[in-house]
Amino acid sequence: MASVTIKNVKKNYGNLEVVHGINLKIEDGAFVVLLGPSGCGKSTLLRMIAGLESVTGGDIEIEGKRVNDVHPKDRNIAMVFQNYALYAHMKVRDNMSFSLLLAKRPQNEIDEKVKWAAKILNLEPYLDRYPRELSGGQRQRVAMGRAIVRNPAVFLFDEPLSNLDAKLRVQMRTEIKELHERLKTTTVYVTHDQIEAMTMADKIVILRDGYIEQEGSPLDVYDHPANLFVAEFIGSPSMNLLKGEVITEGVRLAEGTVLALPKSHKAKLGQKVVYGIRPEHLKPGKGTAAKINVIEPTGPEMHIYADMGGQEVCSITSERVHLARGADLQLAPQLDRVHLFDAETGKVIA
Amino acid sequence: MEQSLPVRILRDIAAVFVTALFMFPILWWALASIKPISAMFDKDRVVFFDFVPTLINYGVTLLGMSRSQLAIDAGLGMGVAGTEAYDSRRAIFDSVIVAIGSTTITMMLAVFAAYALSRMAFKGREGFLNWVLGQRFMPPIAILIPLVAIYKTVGMRDTDNLIMGYIGLMMIYALMNLPIAVLLMKSFFDDVPKDVDEAAMIDGATRWQTFRKIVVPMVRGGVAASAVLCFIFAWTEFLLSLFLTTDIRTVPVKIQTFVTSTGNEWGFISALGTAAAIPSFIFILLVQRHLVRGLTLGSLKE
Repeated sequence: MASVTIKNVKKNYGNLEVVHGINLKIEDGAFVVLLGPSGCGKSTLLRMIAGLESVTGGDIEIEGKRVNDVHPKDRNIAMVFQNYALYAHMKVRDNMSFSLLLAKRPQNEIDEKVKWAAKILNLEPYLDRYPRELSGGQRQRVAMGRAIVRNPAVFLFDEPLSNLDAKLRVQMRTEIKELHERLKTTTVYVTHDQIEAMTMADKIVILRDGYIEQEGSPLDVYDHPANLFVAEFIGSPSMNLLKGEVITEGVRLAEGTVLALPKSHKAKLGQKVVYGIRPEHLKPGKGTAAKINVIEPTGPEMHIYADMGGQEVCSITSERVHLARGADLQLAPQLDRVHLFDAETGKVIA
Repeated sequence: MEQSLPVRILRDIAAVFVTALFMFPILWWALASIKPISAMFDKDRVVFFDFVPTLINYGVTLLGMSRSQLAIDAGLGMGVAGTEAYDSRRAIFDSVIVAIGSTTITMMLAVFAAYALSRMAFKGREGFLNWVLGQRFMPPIAILIPLVAIYKTVGMRDTDNLIMGYIGLMMIYALMNLPIAVLLMKSFFDDVPKDVDEAAMIDGATRWQTFRKIVVPMVRGGVAASAVLCFIFAWTEFLLSLFLTTDIRTVPVKIQTFVTSTGNEWGFISALGTAAAIPSFIFILLVQRHLVRGLTLGSLKE
């Protein structure tokens, strides 16, 4: 059990700064997901916490102690890698007991710990197999087993599910979440998959180009994106973002196409804005005219893609819609769910 | 894709044909080694199997028996003469010592060098790699004369000290093999993802423990493959062995002495040649279980 504090941490590769002074507090027992596109610095940040990358500037503290110059093995952390990084020549049992052997724990304690971890992860029948004899999901569980036997203060996960197929990913997601509920170990989890982030995290930290764009609980980030990047990155299908200009009736997208605004808003008349509305908050009904491009039935819902004033919008409805391409319809935004962003800065107009 | 029957039959025939093509010289050589001279030099026809096999050639080269006595005993006295210098037991012993010794030296050095090249960042690493490879650009004959001079000066040639002779040959073979072994081993180490090293590091292993307990066992197959190559090189090398030592006669050098002023001793040449293939064969059998492809399978997602 430990908190992790990241104070103004920077990382340079030569002259190139890839992480620009990040501040982050990870509470004891929290499940924090670092989320962002490739190259945003999330893995680098995780590797700095692990001690696998040096820290160019700033401090990293684990359990209140500065660990910048502490060897990974002395940081009391455990890490699960994207490609599992199992020891191929060792049986599952030996993979899991390796760290305990190195720490010169007594044999009965090692056996007990391995048994305990295998039980939690349903690996008991596989202890005497080699990693090559296991399926992808089982291998990932071995990697997790290797991490939990040490009872570390912090778990670090580096995109652990991205090598698994879709079904297994959903299953492992639940397993990791359950493991966390059970052990309550502070966890830092890196992913580029926003669904993973939304479903697992206590706190999501969204990174881009080495800066934190926003941090908060999954629903907070979803409901109140701080800027265009977050608005677009979180949610699938992503939020409709329509460029327009504020007029008295609402936001004008094009001549004759106006989207309604809530009664009170902070935007100025004539201001260039981006009108954000999530697909599920834009439903067929009396509103703004649009022309259907395509309709995708997913089963529970229909995804309607339509052209609104020259910009494509998506609307999600649970009603069955039977309309052909090119048909006219009207889409009405749910006014209390409208997000307005400044077109220039991309920041939300609070 | 399932192939149609005619294609499969054709493919099998082609496979058998190619195998036979490559195996034939070896078979012919082995046959020659057990033929009596009359069968080997029959001027009217090519003798395949209709001869009375004899082990004279093996008896002489491998057991040090007297050749003329053996021939007379077998009633093949006609046309045999010459010296008794065909006992090759020493040559085989020397070859085994030198090949195993040089392979061991090579692999010990190559594994460390390749690990460093694969895992550690140091100044001039790329250049070093090219330099290593560059060592193989020059044909051995180009460096032979200076080498002879050097060996003479440091006392590894023309001394009666056998140990120095062995060391000399082992060293030069190790030097010849090192570049290729380092490059091979580096590619095997490169195939082991760095994540594995890092996982071991987080598990509490030191660099040495990671190397010894994790990474090297994972490249066992590579070590075996490289060792086979080194062994075969040392086992079959002729030129350097001929020039760099006078105390030691390795098998290839020994065989060459069977080409004499009074004629070529085909029987002994083929017997020793066939026998010389056996140690390589045994060595490969010993290491081949490590040559199984996909030894690192399971560490990673494939």
